[in-house]
Amino acid sequence: MFEPMVDVVPSFFAWLNQGPLTLTIFLHTVIILPMIWIYKQEKKRLENEK
Amino acid sequence: MTNKSVWSDSRFWQRSASWVTGFAAILLIWLTFDTSAQISMGTDSDLQNGVTKRVPGPTVINYKITYEMSTKRGHEVPVIGEKEKFFGRDDYSEEEAGELLHLGKLGSQAKNCMDCHTLLGNGGYYAPDLTKAWLDPAWGPEGSLQAMTGKNTKEEAMAEFLQHPSQYPTHARMMPNLGITAKEAKGLVAFLKHLSSIDTNGFPRNFGKIQGAIHGK
Repeated sequence: MFEPMVDVVPSFFAWLNQGPLTLTIFLHTVIILPMIWIYKQEKKRLENEK
Repeated sequence: MTNKSVWSDSRFWQRSASWVTGFAAILLIWLTFDTSAQISMGTDSDLQNGVTKRVPGPTVINYKITYEMSTKRGHEVPVIGEKEKFFGRDDYSEEEAGELLHLGKLGSQAKNCMDCHTLLGNGGYYAPDLTKAWLDPAWGPEGSLQAMTGKNTKEEAMAEFLQHPSQYPTHARMMPNLGITAKEAKGLVAFLKHLSSIDTNGFPRNFGKIQGAIHGK
């Protein structure tokens, strides 16, 4: 599941490309989690408007 | 008043889209700078001090290049070794070597090598991949291609072949005569030697003619 870092120059992008899950976890973290946060904020806003 | 869903609220989608677009833009700008740092060419002093660069400096033509299996990385990597004569010399200055590579690069574009060959993943698959052509043992001291040209060194054999490709039966799809001059051939061979020293993360994966390579055992 997680591969060791073997790139010539260890960098953030090299880490991102090491295995299939690193990219998936990264994208879920930066896209889905903030969207949940935005969802909650908007829900609160709509409830307050009522 | 009806209960309005967040999913049908445009502000939720606007904010999500702005976040993803903004974040992706920052990521891509960062990737651009991260990549340029990694693919920038090394210098002569890097080579002398043993600093490993993904793309070594032009004076790499003064050194012997081998392709060795890295168990850590799971593929072969070019290793720059001790000095090696290239057309009888191993003291090319950074300027001389750079000019030679420049001539070879322009030559490869003028003769459209990529019409048939692949260089660093770009080009055709009609003719053999040239990314690691310099490391092909067939051009080496006991190689069939070197023997075919009757020359004593790898670079002279390759230069001879490039000048008169249609004289030598190398491949079912023989290379046509492209009118390459002796000077251009020297530049092209330097260009190929430098190309082979670039760390391409094991590309091409099926380059199996080399002893010790995955398919060349």
